[in-house]
Amino acid sequence: MALTLLLLAGVVVAALVGDRPRPPADFTYIDHQPPFTLDPQRATYEHDLRFVSALFDGLVRWDPYTYNIIPGFAKSWTVSDDGLRFTFHLRQDARWSNGEPLTSADVVYSWRRALMPDTAADYAESLFHVRGAQEFFERRSERLTEYAALPASQRTPETARALREETERDFGVNVGIRAPDPLTLEVELRAPAPYFLDLCAFPALYPVHPESVEACVALDPDTGRLEQTHEWTKPPRLISNGPYRLDEWRFKRDMRLVRNPHYWDADRVALETIEVRVVEDPATAVLAFQTGAADWLSDVLTGYLPEMLQAPENDVHGFTRFATYFWSFNCSPTLTGGRPNPFHDARVRRAFAMAVDKQTLVEKVRRVGEETADTLIPPGSIAGYDEDRSIGGPPFDPAAARALLAEAGWVDRDGDGTPEDASGEPFPVVDLLASTGSYHENVALALGAMFLEGLGVRTRIVQKETKAYRDDLRRRDYMMARGGWFGDYGDPTTFLDIHTTGDGNNLRGYSSARFDELLHHAAAEIDSAQRMALLEEAERLTTEEDLPVLPLWRYRQFPLYDAERVRGISRHPRAIQRLDYLSIAPEPDAKAEP
Amino acid sequence: MIGLIFRRALQAPLVLLVIYTVTFLLAWALPGSAVLRDEGRAPPPEVLAAMEARYNLDNPVSFYFGYLKGVVTRFDLGPSLRYADWSVNEVLRDSLPVSITLGLCAVGIALVIGTVAGVVGALRPGSWLDGAALSLALIGVSLPTFVIGTALLLAFPVGLGWGRVAGWGRPSDMLLPALTLSLPFAAYIARLTRMGMIEALDSDYVRTARAKGLTERQILIRHALPNAFLPVLSYLGPAAAAAMTGSFVVEKVFNIPGVGQHFVNAVLNKDLFLLMGVVLVYATILIAMNLLVDVLYRWVDPRIRA
Repeated sequence: MALTLLLLAGVVVAALVGDRPRPPADFTYIDHQPPFTLDPQRATYEHDLRFVSALFDGLVRWDPYTYNIIPGFAKSWTVSDDGLRFTFHLRQDARWSNGEPLTSADVVYSWRRALMPDTAADYAESLFHVRGAQEFFERRSERLTEYAALPASQRTPETARALREETERDFGVNVGIRAPDPLTLEVELRAPAPYFLDLCAFPALYPVHPESVEACVALDPDTGRLEQTHEWTKPPRLISNGPYRLDEWRFKRDMRLVRNPHYWDADRVALETIEVRVVEDPATAVLAFQTGAADWLSDVLTGYLPEMLQAPENDVHGFTRFATYFWSFNCSPTLTGGRPNPFHDARVRRAFAMAVDKQTLVEKVRRVGEETADTLIPPGSIAGYDEDRSIGGPPFDPAAARALLAEAGWVDRDGDGTPEDASGEPFPVVDLLASTGSYHENVALALGAMFLEGLGVRTRIVQKETKAYRDDLRRRDYMMARGGWFGDYGDPTTFLDIHTTGDGNNLRGYSSARFDELLHHAAAEIDSAQRMALLEEAERLTTEEDLPVLPLWRYRQFPLYDAERVRGISRHPRAIQRLDYLSIAPEPDAKAEP
Repeated sequence: MIGLIFRRALQAPLVLLVIYTVTFLLAWALPGSAVLRDEGRAPPPEVLAAMEARYNLDNPVSFYFGYLKGVVTRFDLGPSLRYADWSVNEVLRDSLPVSITLGLCAVGIALVIGTVAGVVGALRPGSWLDGAALSLALIGVSLPTFVIGTALLLAFPVGLGWGRVAGWGRPSDMLLPALTLSLPFAAYIARLTRMGMIEALDSDYVRTARAKGLTERQILIRHALPNAFLPVLSYLGPAAAAAMTGSFVVEKVFNIPGVGQHFVNAVLNKDLFLLMGVVLVYATILIAMNLLVDVLYRWVDPRIRA
């Protein structure tokens, strides 16, 4: 047995010695999740986008404190009078992290990549504003379907290659993206999109290094699709063009970013090295921060956050986000099993909204100081949109709510407290669908109590794992469900799109011809003020009358950091934090040393 | 002995195939989409369809055989659907050594604590030492590891400043999680050893040894313990396999980049390839450990060797 133990000890020592210690980074932060992908075209989660924005650079960028557009690797650009043609002039000193020059052809490659269904880019739609882009995407999908239907004998590497070449020619001819010379990029839109520059600043449109990506692309003769692996996102193969390059990435453990000397604005970047550690358990993450393991924790997710906020001296900072927490109403005519859906009637949805005391929810249930919300779009967050803040939801008013419910035909006819319809059928028990593992159950309990007290309607909480919850939402197998939405770019459509008929994110089955028409007109409107007025009208419709969603509050994020020490953190609601703008204040007592 | 190894080696692929099939059936039945993200903007339906087609998620039969083919011919456990930049092989390459190190350490600690506590208890049944050892075992078995782990975390790195929270890479980082992970095993080993020892000390051969005039120490170490240790040995196989493939809770509390978390998270995320990958690897380790124990058993116990 002694021998066995000795052997065990040997293995253990060997495993640990293999782990070389590294000098501490200039700045260490903790995230709750490891990045899912560093591929700009596929990143969607906030922590992924933060990495992409540190490793890569766009034609234009957002100023992290104002979210105005500032130059990226394009030093200037012009827009034609009709708002359809954008010409970007690239910097001569724009380079990849391996020193190669960055050219407009690299952007064309990356955008074509985003528009290939093969890539499965989540934000492919943001390029649909470009002339011919959506048609190209759809054509490629059709061609692939046709290819897959070919007899096996015809699905050869040659045919697949021919299809690929045809697709690339198609892109060159029909999509309005051109690179007339290495430092010029011309983009032609199908209709004016005043926020197109905002989209260019979004990480999904940052370019990738064509050669290193192509090295991981293979053509599948069976399907005709380009199969891509992601080895190129791992060091030392990852070649990027942003303020940092990736030095090390250990799965679910840590990552190390090092300043990229080839970045055109490298002199501005203060932190030489950044270490990112992944700590999934919320309480362990807080303990790690409190014991000095990190300079910044991206968000506090512990259940005891309210108590942390009440502590006299704490490093918790609350930031309001460009995002809204709401509960969805299923607006479909019928529920699962063909039962009639009372929420199909907008008056019923409005009545339920008026029975909810949002202030109480925020103060008694959440207890972390969120602002209540009546609108999906945070008021005052978008320049030129609803600047007089005239859009507002129905107020908390249980008496009016009951009257409205009666108007919709639901009256307590037998005196038992529960409203019945004309045939005496009581209002169905409302299922409140929530995902497990967060505060949603508490919110559902409070909402249930408010509906019972205000309207006499009974509720039942249905809690499911995230996957099952999301599945129910997509199948509209729910009555009311928790939800939320984060805006991606500085335009009302980033929120409003989710209410259009048939939109992939319209999980409520809401369909209004009037709303769709307003958005359709807005998309074609050249005059910015007119366009905003149309969008305001659309939001007014969904906020004051139709209420497919019941907004409750603005999301808040609670990063932990010492504000005296960590400089450059942005409080802007849209900020995902640009690491290249952060710095550490010099130690105050450093000068006192002899 | 060679025959045994040979037979087991032939059985193993069959056992693995059955495990693979059952896991596949259960994983396929999980609700929700494997490619759709939990939150945020959903991609266009064409993109979702393309992703499902790419991973054979639209056809259970081609998924079952396609994956099997990849595993058998290339040892390719597929891509992780959740962590898009990583293949399951890469995930396991990074996390399995961590879990094996921690697991072996935990089993080592459990063996020492468990055997000592068991022997001490058996030597003086009913004494305060026995009571203390039994209580320790009871605590080890019944207190959940997240309570023990959190308590140790609060007491040492947070309270006394010894070691660090959520660290991994230094030898000292291993101590608390290994101890936490070892306690349930230690408790069980203590119970097994104590029972075995009490029985052995009461047996004829020990009485004979005493009559021959051997010292108590010789009797204990040369005669009683090897026999009392047999049940522990058979328990060690699955215990080592379980410890070496990580523990969800211990990994969560101490933030250890091991394999254990994937057993739970892969199910919640419907990360099919990762789920099947970890199950197959766990099953292989379990089979290997059981074989190792059987071989050791024959070596320790002459009665089976015959």
